[in-house]
Amino acid sequence: MLSYGLRRVGLAAVITAVALALLISMIQLIPGDPAAVLLGPLASPEMRETFRVQMGLDQPTLVQIIRFFGRALTGDLGTDVLTNRPVLLTVMEQFPFTLTLIVASLGWSALIGIPLGAWSAIRRGSWADSLVGILSVGSIALPSFVVAVYSLLFFSVTLGWFPTIGAGEPGRPLDQLYHLVLPSLAVGLGWVGYLARMVRASMLEVLGENHIRMARAFGLPERFITFRYALKLAIIPTVVLLGVGMGHMISSAVFAEIVFARPGVGRLIFDSIATRNYPVVMGAVMITTIFYVFCTLCADLVAAWLDPRVRASL
Amino acid sequence: MSTLKVTRREMLAAMAAAGLSTGFYPKAALSEDRKVLRVRAYADIQSLDPAYRKAAPDDDVMRNIFPGLATMTPGDEWKWQPDTVSRLEQVDPTHIEFTLMDGLTWSDGYGPVTAEDVKYSFERMISPEVDSPYKGDWEALDHVEVKDEKSGVIVLKGPFPPLWNVGLVFGSGRIISKKAVEAAGGKFDTKPPAQCGRYLLKEWLPKQRVVLVRNPDWPGEPGAFEEIHVVPIEDEKTAELGLEAGDLDYTWVSVSSIPRYTENPPRNASIVVKPSLAYVWLGMNQQAAPFDKLEVRRAVQHAIDVPAVLEAAYFGAAAPATGLIAPGLIGHREKTLFSYDPDKARDFLKQAGMEAGFECTIDVLNKAERISAAQAIQANLAEIGINVEIRQHDSGTFWSLGDEKSGDSWKTLQLIISRFSMQPDPSFATDWFTPEQIGVWNWERWNSPEYGELNSKAKLETDPAKRHEMYVRMQDLMEESGSYVFLTHEAVGVGQSNTITPALMPNGNPIFYEFKPAA
Repeated sequence: MLSYGLRRVGLAAVITAVALALLISMIQLIPGDPAAVLLGPLASPEMRETFRVQMGLDQPTLVQIIRFFGRALTGDLGTDVLTNRPVLLTVMEQFPFTLTLIVASLGWSALIGIPLGAWSAIRRGSWADSLVGILSVGSIALPSFVVAVYSLLFFSVTLGWFPTIGAGEPGRPLDQLYHLVLPSLAVGLGWVGYLARMVRASMLEVLGENHIRMARAFGLPERFITFRYALKLAIIPTVVLLGVGMGHMISSAVFAEIVFARPGVGRLIFDSIATRNYPVVMGAVMITTIFYVFCTLCADLVAAWLDPRVRASL
Repeated sequence: MSTLKVTRREMLAAMAAAGLSTGFYPKAALSEDRKVLRVRAYADIQSLDPAYRKAAPDDDVMRNIFPGLATMTPGDEWKWQPDTVSRLEQVDPTHIEFTLMDGLTWSDGYGPVTAEDVKYSFERMISPEVDSPYKGDWEALDHVEVKDEKSGVIVLKGPFPPLWNVGLVFGSGRIISKKAVEAAGGKFDTKPPAQCGRYLLKEWLPKQRVVLVRNPDWPGEPGAFEEIHVVPIEDEKTAELGLEAGDLDYTWVSVSSIPRYTENPPRNASIVVKPSLAYVWLGMNQQAAPFDKLEVRRAVQHAIDVPAVLEAAYFGAAAPATGLIAPGLIGHREKTLFSYDPDKARDFLKQAGMEAGFECTIDVLNKAERISAAQAIQANLAEIGINVEIRQHDSGTFWSLGDEKSGDSWKTLQLIISRFSMQPDPSFATDWFTPEQIGVWNWERWNSPEYGELNSKAKLETDPAKRHEMYVRMQDLMEESGSYVFLTHEAVGVGQSNTITPALMPNGNPIFYEFKPAA
């Protein structure tokens, strides 16, 4: 397990470096002059030139990337050119909001999706199984921003049950939880169906295996077989999926953060691209990439811990 | 060690109770919030230093936390009023005398607000070391003389009417503490080292809100709300829903939403439509064929049915413009020189030898109104045989298109729909179309020395009638060049909760410290 873990961590480091190099190169390809956008119409040509030099935009792309990595290794992600604050501070102020949203969304969708999939599998072919199937596919097909807008219209504007904007009062966890309900519904709804389908398929595969048939032959209770033997194995691919899902949800969080005017890294990246605030874009992309790779690494390690066969596959 | 034992039934009951509690929560929040004014800003603050402020949300906050000599009067007419002064008088065209009001004190122990602070603040705006983007607001300033602790004289190099419409009344006219700013290294960003306004900046939570709290040491009439929360919401539709749900007391709504809201106002809120100062126009690059021919440009001017374009883009919420300068300001024209006439348009195309038509492009920002306007123009031009391809851009790309320093895209620009925002002085609109601005903001690459000369002279002209004639002539020149079709000044839809009485400039810009609870 230790050998597998070390190899997997090494691979994660390589993936992070490659992904970051690609992403940061892509940022350089975005058309538009940051100096013109950020300084506005009143800036003189001299001011724009000074700004370009300060941002390092007068240097070749490769040099800019190398410099960024060099600084990042020392914990310096540069300076936010709009507010003159450290990028690391700007990003880390926003990151907890996105993390909370993702954890809440994935948490409630796993709490509902996994039992729903297992329940559907043990009732294979029944009307209940069909109903769960229809609802699952339906929820997967609904884009998160559609859920966000409709939930906002219905629960906030029409019924007045939930707030429309913001993340709640700082230092008031209940208020923050209250502001989290609709955004996490929007981000997590699709994952309920996704997890339910995934667990159902895995369960059906496991329920057909020899050791389950053997357990049945020994007369063990069906409930015991399902949750003690079958679900334990069937959940392994789901654990990996949850790891990938954490990263994937960052993109859904962008929409939720914009629609609900919540703080967060997704909205920060979106705004920073629009204003060509490259240091913030690069810093935020770096943090989210590391987060994504870290999540998949954790998922793989958990999967390897649960199933020794996985360790041999790397 | 004791352990907490909770049965499944107890857990379910607790969860149900927690869920139900959200039902009465909004009422609790509402009663608490009556002391708090919640307003929307279209972006987060970026810099509160008057010399380096970036956008209107910075100005809106600065107005509350720094004193000034003059400010705009709320209402429907553009006029200034004294701000934190007991006397402010232009004694001759180049001298303005002032006396600060009694009792103004800086926060953080920086003592009283003095005439020395005024001198430092205004002279700093034109200092080469500071190199403020807003130095043009004070371009006529020679120096400020300090007479005593509270009095002084602003000495100008020459007459400069825009000072009263822009320089003194907006961000460039805010006064900062000399001692505090010098101690902070000569500049600051979002943390002012000292404040003195009706409100004080209590905290800034990036992407969440700016909290302004009533200044307990303010010597004049205190602000009506204990706190003002300025919430940055970039998306207009989200802000509209926030107003509808009662989470916001004040926001601008999108122009396209104005007709809908006018017909069906949101519950517990109302919409007020204000005339905007901004101007939207269709430009033609004179150096990009076939628009290098005057006849082709004139054909386009006659081919566009401006009211129909506005109906498509703004659903009737915006009126046609007659030039750059909005109604109510010096220099506003009563009518355009060329109007919709497809037959004339075809004749001009024939004169240009292009009666068979041609293909061209139109570049627009990817905003719904601008894209709809481009589609309507596309349809208009198709009637005379011009096939237009619409190219949409995000703001970062769009605002670099005509800039020579940003690449070569300016060479291929043909038609462009642009929108510039504006301050209540005509010079703010006309500055961008001079020969010096070619390749910077003059994307039509129109070169008129007469226009440039008039622009310089009009800024210094103190006779309003003569000034008016100059600006009218400048807009005539623009239109005669064939490179411009003036579309609209748009409109501003102000959404306001029925629980407040806002204080707005004629274009809907907020003066938060004068907002009051509804009677």
